[in-house]
Amino acid sequence: MEITQETVAAAVNSVASARGRGTLPNMMAFARALKQLGVKVSLSQVIDAARSADLVDIADKQDFRALLRSNLILQKEDFPVFDMVFDCFWREQSYERVPMETLEIQGTPSESGAEEGGDEEGLEEALAEAAAKENVPLENLEEFSIPTYSPQELLNSKDFSEMGVEESRAIARAILLIATKIATQISRRKKIGRKGSTVDPRWTMRRSMKYGGEIVELVQRKRRIKKTKVVLLCDVSGSMDCYSRFLIQFMYGLQNELWGVETFVFSTSLSRITHLIRTKDIGNALEKISGSILGWSGGTNIGRSLHTFNRNFAPSMVTHRSVVVIISDGWDRGDVSLLEREMQDLKRRCKKIIWLNPLLASDNYEPLCKGMQAALPYLDLFLSVHNVNSLVALGRTLQKMVA
Amino acid sequence: MNPKQLTIEKVQEILRKEQYVCDRALATVVYLSLVMGKPLLLEGEAGVGKTEIAKVLAKVLDAKLIRLQCYEGLDANTALYEWNYPKQMLRIKLEEVEHGDKQKVETEIFTQDYLIKRPLLEAIQSDGTNPPVLLIDEIDRADMEFEAFLLEVLSDFQITIPEIGTISAKHRPYVFLTSNRTREIHDALKRRCLYHWIEYPTFEKEYEIITTKFPQAEANMARQICAFMQRVREMNFYKRPGVAETLDWASALIALNRKGLDDKTVVETMGCVFKYREDLHHLKEQIDGKQLNLEALLRASPEMVS
Repeated sequence: MEITQETVAAAVNSVASARGRGTLPNMMAFARALKQLGVKVSLSQVIDAARSADLVDIADKQDFRALLRSNLILQKEDFPVFDMVFDCFWREQSYERVPMETLEIQGTPSESGAEEGGDEEGLEEALAEAAAKENVPLENLEEFSIPTYSPQELLNSKDFSEMGVEESRAIARAILLIATKIATQISRRKKIGRKGSTVDPRWTMRRSMKYGGEIVELVQRKRRIKKTKVVLLCDVSGSMDCYSRFLIQFMYGLQNELWGVETFVFSTSLSRITHLIRTKDIGNALEKISGSILGWSGGTNIGRSLHTFNRNFAPSMVTHRSVVVIISDGWDRGDVSLLEREMQDLKRRCKKIIWLNPLLASDNYEPLCKGMQAALPYLDLFLSVHNVNSLVALGRTLQKMVA
Repeated sequence: MNPKQLTIEKVQEILRKEQYVCDRALATVVYLSLVMGKPLLLEGEAGVGKTEIAKVLAKVLDAKLIRLQCYEGLDANTALYEWNYPKQMLRIKLEEVEHGDKQKVETEIFTQDYLIKRPLLEAIQSDGTNPPVLLIDEIDRADMEFEAFLLEVLSDFQITIPEIGTISAKHRPYVFLTSNRTREIHDALKRRCLYHWIEYPTFEKEYEIITTKFPQAEANMARQICAFMQRVREMNFYKRPGVAETLDWASALIALNRKGLDDKTVVETMGCVFKYREDLHHLKEQIDGKQLNLEALLRASPEMVS
């Protein structure tokens, strides 16, 4: 939902009861209003803001604005929301008369205070309350258009949906390329290695201890290989049917080429199939999967599936090194606000979210369906997968990203 | 200068004396950061003066500037401290020859004399009369591990060296972090800082910057430069030029003794503003195609009183 004057006014109204005398209660109420609109604010920030309130002349509205903003807002994208809430919140009572005479930092935290403090629970609650959220501008989103027509390479540009058996080998090659690129990122951090490029004085000293301080062994360092973890979430609902051959090959290929890939499929619910495709035999894997998955080719509820993922799997599987790849056309029949909330949550956990959409390639496609729209602001990459070319492009992009 | 005596106006004034033009909001944030002793995280496009403000502040506060330039792979040993291994080894060898006291050597080679201080330790140990200014530049280039490590240092301002003990800061340094936003900084680190986003300057501010830095510049040319920069930033270039480029360009034009801009001069000196071949090419097209019309720009720009 858009942030409008009305939603801001509603948020400010809803915290009116929490406003009191003194700087801190007012600032807490202000922070709560911000939180309702999706801006993250922690208690320590509010306290710091209150503490610094006597450092500037708070009768000067611009200085006061700068003071609050620098303390409470941590990213530029939240500035517009902040400004709207600021104008609305401090206007109600004529600005100069806002009672600010005492600093009540030691005061017992009220019910609202407890909520401010509870980083995770409080946030969840606030998020659950607020369906209204900011629409993050799409500037971080790299949208790639990949040419779909190329006469020389008919195979490369043929849509997956119309692909026969012989093409699958090309796909396999592309996937292998993608997989090795992800798996062999070289970190700039170094570890000790037998054949390194530089000498590690610290370890050389330590090893020399056993020879009585005489340097016998030179310990060397080499670049560490950084392993990016990939989590794959595949949409297997009815609308994706024509791409299912490709999907399976993609899942299967990535899983077998890469260390530490987790694979999930979802339609109306989510299931983990990592163990099912950990085999070299693709034919059998297919049978096993389709036999054990409920709702294959059924409807779609991306929000609920993501919720399951975030709650049950993400804590142990997704770290700041992980890249989450979602393959879906974005046709969602579930609750859009839930989807948005879960995307936001996921975004916070992982390094990147890549959304691969087979429909993106068609000329007249625009991500209009609500589900896709809700997810867009949280994506780092929105790419098409519809032919071998696009897979190669994906490989290149992944390499740039993890580097 | 004692920060307790500062006011927002004063901050603005002393920065201006060092030729740093800043708006009220930035001055307020800097003032708060100095008085509260809270690190200040500055974000903004490249070349808007994020690093510069820390340098200028160090100068006006008469404080030592300690700069830590971040890069990927930056680790505790390069940021904090490292033992001077060659020196330690030489000492051991020397004592061996002279049959020195083994116990004594052992304790002595792990003292401050054998410690190489890296920026963070230096900032914490600094014992000048004024607290130092610690500039942690381009934090977004360092990796997550380093951020986590920084979190620890910035919250307590103390460092533990196993062989020596805990060293805490005599004066809390004034900390400035800058980021170009190539990636998001973790919230935990952000929460310990004040935050400010430095925008590209407005026409008026940019004009002021040019005339402050180059009083000899013709008013007309300064206006032309500003109008051009403002327009170019709205256009579709791969790398939008910052204030640093504006100043480079202005100084180049002054060195060339130009009194005003025309299409030819612009094309000749464009290397100061655009650093990519594609951008230069794009600009030339725009000028040739009259989409970028200098005269029209100048006419549309606000009148400045000098």
